[in-house]
Amino acid sequence: MITSIKEAQKKLRNEEISPREVVTSFLSRVKEKNKNTNALLSIFDKATREIEETNKELPLYGSIFAIKDNILVEGRKCTAGSKLLEHYTAPYDATVIKKIKEKGGVIIGKANMDEFAMGSSTENSAFGATRNPHDLTRVPGGSSGGCAAALADGMCNAGLGSDTGGSIRQPSAFCGVVGFKPTYGTVSRYGVISMTSSFDQVGPLANTVEDAQLIFDAIRGKDEKDSVTSDLLRKEKKEKIKVGILKESFAEGMDSEVKEALEEAISKIKDSDVELMEITVPYTQYALSAYEIIMASEVSANMARFDGIRYGLEFERPAAKNLKEAYLINRGEGFGKEAKRRIILGTYALSAGYYDAYYIKAQKVRNLISEDFKKAFSQVDIIFTPTTPTLPFKIGEKIKNPLAMHLSDIFTVTANLAGLPAITLPCGEKKGLPVGAQLLARRFQEEALFDTAKKFEKLWKK
Amino acid sequence: MISKKEIEKLAFLARLNLDVQEQRNVPGELESILRYIQRLGDVDTEEIEPLFHFPELKNITREDEVKQVEQKVQKRMMRMGKDKDDYLKVEFTL
Repeated sequence: MITSIKEAQKKLRNEEISPREVVTSFLSRVKEKNKNTNALLSIFDKATREIEETNKELPLYGSIFAIKDNILVEGRKCTAGSKLLEHYTAPYDATVIKKIKEKGGVIIGKANMDEFAMGSSTENSAFGATRNPHDLTRVPGGSSGGCAAALADGMCNAGLGSDTGGSIRQPSAFCGVVGFKPTYGTVSRYGVISMTSSFDQVGPLANTVEDAQLIFDAIRGKDEKDSVTSDLLRKEKKEKIKVGILKESFAEGMDSEVKEALEEAISKIKDSDVELMEITVPYTQYALSAYEIIMASEVSANMARFDGIRYGLEFERPAAKNLKEAYLINRGEGFGKEAKRRIILGTYALSAGYYDAYYIKAQKVRNLISEDFKKAFSQVDIIFTPTTPTLPFKIGEKIKNPLAMHLSDIFTVTANLAGLPAITLPCGEKKGLPVGAQLLARRFQEEALFDTAKKFEKLWKK
Repeated sequence: MISKKEIEKLAFLARLNLDVQEQRNVPGELESILRYIQRLGDVDTEEIEPLFHFPELKNITREDEVKQVEQKVQKRMMRMGKDKDDYLKVEFTL
């Protein structure tokens, strides 16, 4: 089995394996495993031919991608996990897809997800839940659960997801892979179906930190089609890295198994040359609350275009007497339960008389959180937190309790609020299930983040 | 407490039909989320500005000019609509 892009590249360049063999080995794995996990919604058999036509010198040569189904790939279906877009075909490539193709990457399929990226378990897909390859009775996390499961199950060696409140990192932790959310503004979102424009970022899922960095380098950069993108990357080489363990994240409700795994991981860092200290970012206790309001508000605005006329399937509606009724039926039938809840919550938060009390209040608290992190980063280079408060939970366990589901993002939403780059990597195992640790850095400080993550990856490898 | 009636009104404003089960469950589900986020009321934000944008990012603007869409992209878009030739047929919306 090929476990990383770097390994595939090495084998290909030494001619130990042919390009065709690389793809067919993944495709046969897809055919064997996808019926169990439902990780991929569509499979591209053409990938075999594509890799044979690819220039061997390109940086992503040998990378075989599963792409989250809210990212447009020209001529392919793009459903965003929604019944509304069941028959939608992407007319063009997203900027990130264009870059992946130009740099030698090959796409093997589109990956399952929670509808319009709203969820933390991939159970909110209109096309059936995805299962965790480590235990098929458990969720893979979400919303990029399909990508994470495909990668963990050896169906590909690269993934591209989107992260609004943890949608790359939480499933990566649950599936035991590396997941990276870049600094807000470093990667273009042109051709990516929007959820919460203030938070959405596209990023890689990978088997190693080195692979995640390779993919990030290939997709990042300013794009005139996403008006808040930038080429900025700060490079400060440090002799000794200072890591702060986020006190608040260890105080809030965390499962004992996860806590134990993290403490073991921390004790391994203590033996290295990294300087460890405790750090406090008090306003993070308000992060999930601020996130809920801003997220739901922007969701309600971004989902307005899915009305069955501008976008989305039109349903049979003999009963619709007028346009208003047509909208009510198209959207009522088209959206799933979670999407509807969030749209209604957002409509509430933005309605007259509530806007200042909810949306503006949340954006003010967001400012306090961002400033709080700034202070913390004057003392340390990297902040260490858990990625998730629990081990992967059972399918069905939280789907009827939206608040419990949303709480599984409690440690990940902070990075989206403050725009920080954040990476999760496997740091141990409990009950045969993976546990992830999250590292955060200052905005545009990806280099320091990758350097530290590589160091920890070595320390935590079994 | 958010009432069933209020939810009905919001769902209508958002143009979402709710089925009987949703009409029953949504008020309680949203109530639990609203109760959780009440903690924001404890934060003193008197002198604080809202954070809408990060200081490092500047809006990218471009000339307002008409550009020809690639032929193949145009074709793909047409195929999704109902009509042929150079026009897409949509529902009457005025």
